[in-house]
Amino acid sequence: MQATAPAPTPAPPIQSRRIQSPTALVLRRFSQEKTAVFGLIVIVLFALLAIFAPLLAPYNPLDQDIPNGLAPPSPEHWLGADKLGRDILSRMLFGARISLTAGLGVVALAALVGSAIGLIAGYVGGWLDEVLMRVTDIFFAFPSLILAMAIAGALGPSLQNALIAVAVVTWPVYARLVRGQVLVLRDREFVQAARAVGARHGLILRRHLLPNTLSPLLVQTSFDMGTTILAVAGLSFIGFGAQPPTPEWGVMISEGRNYITTHWWLTFFPAMAMLFAVAGFNLVGDGLRDVLDPRLRR
Amino acid sequence: MNAQPHAKRWQWTALLVLVAMLASACAAPAAPSAPVAGGEEAAAPAAGDALTRANTLIFALDHSDLITLDPAVAYEFGGILPVGNMYETMVSFNPGETELVPVLATSWDVADGGDMWKLTFTLDPNATFASGAPVTADDVLFSWGRAIDINKSPAFLLIDVCQMTKENITAVDAGVVELKLPKTVSPNVCLSVLTFTVAAVVEQAALEPNLGSDMGESWLNDHSAGSGPYVLNAWERSSTVTLDANPNWWGGDAPAMQRVILQNMLEPANRQAAIETGDADIIQDVGPEVAAALEGNPDVALAKGLSTLLVYASVNATMPPFDNPDARLALRYAINYDNIITLLGGNGELVQEIIPIGFAGHTGNNPFTQDLDKAKELFAKAGVTEGATIPFIVATGTGPGGVEWATVAASIQADLAQIGVSLDIQQMQQSELLTKYRAQELPMLLMNWGPDFTDPDANGTPFANYEAKSLAWRNSWNDPQAIELSQQAAIELDPAKRIELYAQLTEYMQNNGPFAMLFQPTRVYGLRTNVQGFIYDPGDTPNVSLWLISKN
Amino acid sequence: MARFIIRRLGGLIFVLLGVSLLTFFLAQLAPADPAGAALGSNAREEQIAAYRQQLGLDQPVVVQYARYMSRLMQGDLGNSIRTRRAVADDLRDFLPATVELTLSALLVTILLGIPLGILAALNRNTWIDAGARILALLGGAMPIFYIGLVLLGVFYRQLQWLPGPGRLDSTLPPPLHLTGLYTVDALLTGNWMVLANAAAHLILPAITLGLFSTAVLLRMTRSSMLEMLGQDYVRTAKAKGLSERLVIGRHVFKNALPPILTIVGILFGSLLSGAVLTETIFNWPGIGRYATTSVTTLDYPAVMGVALVAAIIYPLANTLVDIGYSVIDPRVRAG
Repeated sequence: MQATAPAPTPAPPIQSRRIQSPTALVLRRFSQEKTAVFGLIVIVLFALLAIFAPLLAPYNPLDQDIPNGLAPPSPEHWLGADKLGRDILSRMLFGARISLTAGLGVVALAALVGSAIGLIAGYVGGWLDEVLMRVTDIFFAFPSLILAMAIAGALGPSLQNALIAVAVVTWPVYARLVRGQVLVLRDREFVQAARAVGARHGLILRRHLLPNTLSPLLVQTSFDMGTTILAVAGLSFIGFGAQPPTPEWGVMISEGRNYITTHWWLTFFPAMAMLFAVAGFNLVGDGLRDVLDPRLRR
Repeated sequence: MNAQPHAKRWQWTALLVLVAMLASACAAPAAPSAPVAGGEEAAAPAAGDALTRANTLIFALDHSDLITLDPAVAYEFGGILPVGNMYETMVSFNPGETELVPVLATSWDVADGGDMWKLTFTLDPNATFASGAPVTADDVLFSWGRAIDINKSPAFLLIDVCQMTKENITAVDAGVVELKLPKTVSPNVCLSVLTFTVAAVVEQAALEPNLGSDMGESWLNDHSAGSGPYVLNAWERSSTVTLDANPNWWGGDAPAMQRVILQNMLEPANRQAAIETGDADIIQDVGPEVAAALEGNPDVALAKGLSTLLVYASVNATMPPFDNPDARLALRYAINYDNIITLLGGNGELVQEIIPIGFAGHTGNNPFTQDLDKAKELFAKAGVTEGATIPFIVATGTGPGGVEWATVAASIQADLAQIGVSLDIQQMQQSELLTKYRAQELPMLLMNWGPDFTDPDANGTPFANYEAKSLAWRNSWNDPQAIELSQQAAIELDPAKRIELYAQLTEYMQNNGPFAMLFQPTRVYGLRTNVQGFIYDPGDTPNVSLWLISKN
Repeated sequence: MARFIIRRLGGLIFVLLGVSLLTFFLAQLAPADPAGAALGSNAREEQIAAYRQQLGLDQPVVVQYARYMSRLMQGDLGNSIRTRRAVADDLRDFLPATVELTLSALLVTILLGIPLGILAALNRNTWIDAGARILALLGGAMPIFYIGLVLLGVFYRQLQWLPGPGRLDSTLPPPLHLTGLYTVDALLTGNWMVLANAAAHLILPAITLGLFSTAVLLRMTRSSMLEMLGQDYVRTAKAKGLSERLVIGRHVFKNALPPILTIVGILFGSLLSGAVLTETIFNWPGIGRYATTSVTTLDYPAVMGVALVAAIIYPLANTLVDIGYSVIDPRVRAG
């Protein structure tokens, strides 16, 4: 589930401000990557749909109309209705809220915890590094979905527990990524120099090490948004995730799988929504990597 | 730099293999998918005719609950089907009838032996095991004693329901078995218990050399030692159970199907595809939508039969608001039963009582239709204020009848929302749900119950008798009158009086009980049209008699 | 080299200890009683109590763990609560199916991902490149469980080009058990019919499972190749008049390979994860499905068994990758 974005070598430390700020430079380069911009547009679109779901949805996503269950797509229900007669379009729009917030929450949590651990391990080194890295090894040794399943199973199936489970299997990637960066940077001249002049550890970490790990982190989070959305949906699919009647995409596909041969619209539309959202994040991730990784500058 | 040609060659080989793979993927229709390959004698035929697709039955079902093929241990639907076709009991039911018929015993007799009941079974002298050895009284003693000693899931049927002890089972001679039962047990209830696979007879001589450390339990998972129409060929864990016809079967004509393959198939969509392509001859558990789709298929017929299961919503009688009987009654008036039946799409009958259709004591009274005003009034009377939120626990996955548990729950949720009660649906894995249910922790849940034997007591006691620590207990419903009625009914010997007692119990529970009984699900099978002789009989063990099936 | 191996082994033991401890801890968190779950809905209270006692679940947690570990030291993985068999027996039955599926998916990944990645890089910004990138995009974003259902619906149910779920047509007996991998066993025993059938049964699940990793590998190969193609020495070599094919073969591909190999090692882990969903949909009797049912019934000895096996397989795969490195480039021979 977790494809590690190949770690780009760190950008040179920001020492002197030139005419153009690095951020602006990155933005300008990013805007030249057509596919990445397309991905960004897709994400923004989904975000807007999610935010304005209550205004856009033609029905309440929970409203039932059982006699009219499994209605095919029609002017009344653009994307059809499910077994209980609930409007699929409305459920999909509200599902976007869940998937996007789930992705954000998990990735933020995993990135924060993982980076902190990686930062400490890489900077302090020695036995602490050894212990922390062996601990990440333990998490890497589990196939992520099996571990996530075991966690969600132990905590009891719910969306919240599924998110915790996915976060638990995601953080080690960040720990390794950040540690790797810190190990490279730790012995660079500018860090050595800072140490030599007696800068406090906190300052070194904050001022010199953290900013230089940001670009690979950004790339990784972008990819992980996509994998998280898939992982949460996968957990929901096998019954360890969101609870009905929650209109989560994975739940919608799981609920619709018994009808896949007879009523295709129950599963097709949520699957497409997921496809576009995940592809959007992956495209942005690709774009960011190309822009931020100097090795790939062409 | 000699790595270079390697890398290059490897690169081109990779491409070549890729092309070959794509080509083979496109060419694949020729070879493997042919569903009826005549030349599959590769599998060694067990007996008689050579094995062909025409005398092989492929039965696709979800038997992921299968954990054992030992009759003394099997208690899951997936295990009882093969075990019931490999082993025989003393007596049985004929499909669709409640009258006992002889199997291994030609006759049986119930006598009042003073302080105990005395049951005498006379074995059929022709009865033989698949090995050819005769079935003797010693084999019966061995088998029943073994089930009691092993004491696994189904053993309570013998130990608790029949109150059987090893001392009270004796062999009068090689062909007669005597069983003594305490007077607190109904001999009729016990006789119906004895039709279940736990009381099946295993060949002592075959099992004894293979007892190992677990009384032969693991040996019986890969071998059979019964007298039934089929013998075990192989059990590929979590995929197939293969049965071969017993060439020495004493009980009737040799089965038409030389081989029966019970194939584990979890996804309903996969089962549908298997019956449409003819990869399977029979599929089990067809949901309402797939049934509708199959109805137009000329190659597939549907066989429907009412199961003995009952699906219900229940509430904990000590947790507000349902500690008040009026609130419980209000729940029964709030539910839109028509909607639930619509969701089932023909895969279930409305049943609002604790005794299922087909059992003595079933009344057929369905007094409740949705009446929101009445429900509101009753709730108000019970002091329930609008805006109450109650957790509503349901299992994950698809329930009996082929509709997801959560879907039925959502429909009830919408009903109660109309009278100002909001239900908070929480899905739980069956394991967690059962643990909390047993611990009396669930305020409200949606579940099903299947009777353990074909007698109204199999439902009367669990639903009504708090002291039995079953359903009434799990819902903390301790009602002396219900307990008294269920106990009376259980041991009443006069059939008419017994039916009257169950009618009383039913009415009492409809007014006071913690259950909103919803429906009795239908089990739907898909059959290829050339399959003959298929009968689904939910009250019998096994439900499906494989030896009666043929193909033309 | 010896020190390196010892370090690796030490690390592995630490990881296995951690894995067992973590699984055990999770089992304690679980809100349900595994004994009750195993005995089903109709079981009586006394039976459950007896089973709890038999399993030792009535003992303090520390005692349970100590017992488990001491048995583990003797190579005993304990008994499954649900299947009531030795976990080792269950794993022996189910692991080969997963290994066969995973290796086939890895094959799909390598056979599709690397060539398409190379082609895309060599034909940058052409329709080939665009096609490959779209494939990578779709493969990386499609929910595996939906793809599986759709592939079965199209290629099995509708077109009937490929066989349905399961490892083998149910009318065929499995080949003689040597490795447990049906294709390999059939090959070794010369059972051509079973070989063809088992291979055909593998196609759809292997593609389903391999699609995600194919996407990742394709992207990785493409960018790795592009990076190498942009290097000065490649331009120099081309300027020297060396043939395109020679340059690509000798310099570009060889240098692009290490990161590709690393990603293959990582992907192996993700394939094991994806196997959980693929096995559910394709009725594949492997450890993924075994793990799913074990988790739902809180059968933690079984979950622990799966976890320990996975924890051994994964470093093993990475070690193989390391060996792969040293074959390509002796300089990186680990020491």
